[in-house]
Amino acid sequence: MSAVSHYIGNIWTAATSFFEGLSVTMSWMFRRPMTIQYPDKIDKPIDQQLPERYRGFLEVDIRYCIGCSACMRACPIDCIRMEVAKHPESGTRMLTRFDIDVSKCMFCGLCTEVCPTGCLHHTKLFEGTNAHIENLVLRYVDVPVEPFKMKKGEENPIDRSGNIARSRLKDFFAPAPPEFQGSRQGDLTG
Amino acid sequence: MENPKDPRILELHVPQAPAVPGEMLVNMGAQHPATHGVLNFLMVTDGEVIHKAIPNCGYLHRGMEKIAEMTPYPAYMPYTDRIDYLGAMFANQGYAMAVEKILGIEVPRRAEYCRVIACELNRIASHLIATGCSAMDLGAFTPFTHWLRERETINDLTEELCGARLTYNYMRIGGVSADLPEGFSDRVLRFLDHFKPVITEFDRLISLNKIFMERLVNLVPISTEEAMDWGLVGPNLRASGVEVDLRKHPGYSVYGDFDFQVITGRGFKGQIGDSYDRYYVRVLEMYESCKILRQALEKMPDGPIMAEVPKKLKPEKNEAYARVESVRGEMGYYVISDGTDKPYRLKVKTGSFPAMAMMEKASEGVMVADVVALISAFDLIAPEIDR
Amino acid sequence: MQTLADILIQKIFGVSPQGWFWTGTCYLVVIVLFCLVLLIFAALFAGITSWVERRIAARMMSRVGPNRVGPQGFLQWLADGLKLFLKEDIIPSGADWPLYRMAPYFVFAGMFGTFVALPFGASLVAADLNVGIYYLLAVTAFVIVGIIMGGWSSNNKWALFGGIRSAAQLVSYEIPSGLTVLVVVLLTGSLSTQEIIKAQGGLPWDWFIFHSPFTVAAFFIFVTAALAEGNRTPFDLPEAESELVAGYATEYSGFRFVVFFFAEWANLWVMSALMVILFLGGWRIPFVSVEATTSTWWLIALSFVIFCVKTLVMVFFVIHIRWTLPRLRIDQMMKMCWTYLVPAALVCILGTMVWMGIADWQTIPGRAMRGLMFLIAAFVALKWLARVRYTYMSDRDLYQKMDGRPLWYPPWRLP
Repeated sequence: MSAVSHYIGNIWTAATSFFEGLSVTMSWMFRRPMTIQYPDKIDKPIDQQLPERYRGFLEVDIRYCIGCSACMRACPIDCIRMEVAKHPESGTRMLTRFDIDVSKCMFCGLCTEVCPTGCLHHTKLFEGTNAHIENLVLRYVDVPVEPFKMKKGEENPIDRSGNIARSRLKDFFAPAPPEFQGSRQGDLTG
Repeated sequence: MENPKDPRILELHVPQAPAVPGEMLVNMGAQHPATHGVLNFLMVTDGEVIHKAIPNCGYLHRGMEKIAEMTPYPAYMPYTDRIDYLGAMFANQGYAMAVEKILGIEVPRRAEYCRVIACELNRIASHLIATGCSAMDLGAFTPFTHWLRERETINDLTEELCGARLTYNYMRIGGVSADLPEGFSDRVLRFLDHFKPVITEFDRLISLNKIFMERLVNLVPISTEEAMDWGLVGPNLRASGVEVDLRKHPGYSVYGDFDFQVITGRGFKGQIGDSYDRYYVRVLEMYESCKILRQALEKMPDGPIMAEVPKKLKPEKNEAYARVESVRGEMGYYVISDGTDKPYRLKVKTGSFPAMAMMEKASEGVMVADVVALISAFDLIAPEIDR
Repeated sequence: MQTLADILIQKIFGVSPQGWFWTGTCYLVVIVLFCLVLLIFAALFAGITSWVERRIAARMMSRVGPNRVGPQGFLQWLADGLKLFLKEDIIPSGADWPLYRMAPYFVFAGMFGTFVALPFGASLVAADLNVGIYYLLAVTAFVIVGIIMGGWSSNNKWALFGGIRSAAQLVSYEIPSGLTVLVVVLLTGSLSTQEIIKAQGGLPWDWFIFHSPFTVAAFFIFVTAALAEGNRTPFDLPEAESELVAGYATEYSGFRFVVFFFAEWANLWVMSALMVILFLGGWRIPFVSVEATTSTWWLIALSFVIFCVKTLVMVFFVIHIRWTLPRLRIDQMMKMCWTYLVPAALVCILGTMVWMGIADWQTIPGRAMRGLMFLIAAFVALKWLARVRYTYMSDRDLYQKMDGRPLWYPPWRLP
């Protein structure tokens, strides 16, 4: 008899469990889908929807950099390259180079924590695709500048809007920088 | 030890022709739609029943332990995220605990509470993937997407907390990197209120589904002795009836302040230690994590979130082993320091590795369709196995 | 169909085609025309159903589904079809050339051959065979040949797995399928599909499904067997995506792949249409007799609409099942067929015979039984809807508290 009851029991469990399962999936037909239809149907621009601490592309407000290169030492994968050289005539320290290779950066945030002034910070940008990987090196120093003279305890008005990084990010179809033209990478899309 | 002249032992680099006529050597390849990363199984099968399935790992080896020898202590934290990207908080915590042991630093209480909150959120997120993938590998795609929707909320919460959704890099040696943002506690509680009935709904949809139970119940029951012999840890071990949870004995961090149960398998629908137990233990562990989260948010003390740690970490010659109860079991970090600012050796012991080894024994006599069910019931993920 | 052809030629040319010396050619042209119409119908159905299924599946999964190609993604299937046409035609080396190329067409023929005997409306059937149902069951067996050929000739062990599993499954599930059809044939007394529909009535309690508890059971057995015949979840192990990438169709690309999947989607229509014809009253209009339906043209059109609506409801049911249930393993599938479905189908035949002997269709006990079955079914359906509502309500307020936006988003609101 137990075989028969086992048999009928199987059929009954199957029927009831399918009943429950079908009711659950049907109830989902009436619920809000959780897809965010980026980038066409979002109500605010995406960088206003991201939280404060979001770790996007790195940006440095070069006016407030003191040239300590703590960020370069903290980076686990050497994606920051900062050079300080002496001015040939006056002999003062000058920042000649501050390059961040965004294609290497893993957005860990260790460099932003050790920056004494906070001029190196994360923005909320993440849309930086480019046809040439060389264009993903963001160069923040155009002409050599003097490093900032930091006073302890003073709040510095650092521009965190992301505009500096936006101005450095190149358009998708921008050609590769001249020093890479003629290499295989540079020839691919001209 | 098996006889080395046994022709059925396959050499991995030279697959031999199977000994018995009617057998085939099939490769459940590294690229496979079952989403557990790049795992490879060489199977000797006669069409449906498997005679031998040899796991072949190493497709996701990235040299994490070697990289540690070239990276200063604080800078290695993002790499630990990638050792187990579904349970990154635990990987962070294990590493931080090992280095803190060497340096003799005590972590402030508020930082410990932040760590527990982050870890338990991550445990829920990872179990969502594990149970969802169990369903998906057996053909039910819907529960997986429902779980991904819940996971989105957890991802948004961690995004507010530390800035990233998967590779958190939240913990530091000596504490955590940032305090809880404003309103975080409210949002987490609202999520937990919403989440609890959803687990019941998930049960109704798939856990109690007759077909799902038929596929998993009594599939490879692993007894207590066998589980301990093969070195299984975490939910796999608990499902076989062994009550082992590092959060209770010996306990670490501030888990002693919380009241929660250790879920063990007791043959929910079949024998103790079968695949359904391994799956359902994970579902029930999500309830326990919700409990711990509520208690932690309530009892949160004030204080600093980071201990006093020197800027340049140069520990003296020492070694330490720290273990955490990660999602897939015990994750252990063994660090040997030699006086410089980089470790001399770092060894990571993860929970999926013994489970992958157990697959060879477990998959004898099962059918091809069951191998996929077994992989997802053991919750193997490739980055933990290969590092 | 000959009568239909005669009527058409009469209407268009004004003369009766009997006695012409090119009668044969005329009939041939008309036949080809009918087949073209059916082919276009099957193609349109297959394409549009793929879009509808993806949208429905997406909403069940809390997603949106394709919505970019054309308005609400309606042209997605055209884009997919076009892409597959333009793909390179790859034949794996070592593949058995003739068999590899013929396999998709066998599967297609097995599916398309059934369209000629399906009654779309009151007198809308391409070939009114008096062995209609028998012909349908026989033609669908072509699919088995095609699948085995596809699996074997691909020179791929995984494809072979899929092909052999599928062959075993399809051959086994022909039996319960045929036995439950036998239940219906007992009730009708004829194998012709039109006769089966004419024997039922328009109102729900006049359908064959509610005739007795045995026919209710036969309906569910038929649904299960039809799902297995169509390789749909929970029986889609031959094309299980998690294990064998696409089963017997793994090595196919381009146009041949299109043919395989066209056959699968159009088979949805065939399997649902069979369920409707056999058990759910076909094209019968409530309160209208058969003679009235076949004589007026707008009633014929209404019967076509009713048939399509009923079939689409069953198609939705099949889609709903696919995206809810996991799949069975091959040995569990075989066990279920031979130990559960076949004995149950035999019991259904016996029971139906006994009940037919006790109480005829139109007598009081017969009507009482039909009414009782209908009431039980309506009660179960209402309980199910209540369960749906309960599931929705248990999450509604908590979701709104968590997210800020309301949870209500019905399927007719397109995102």
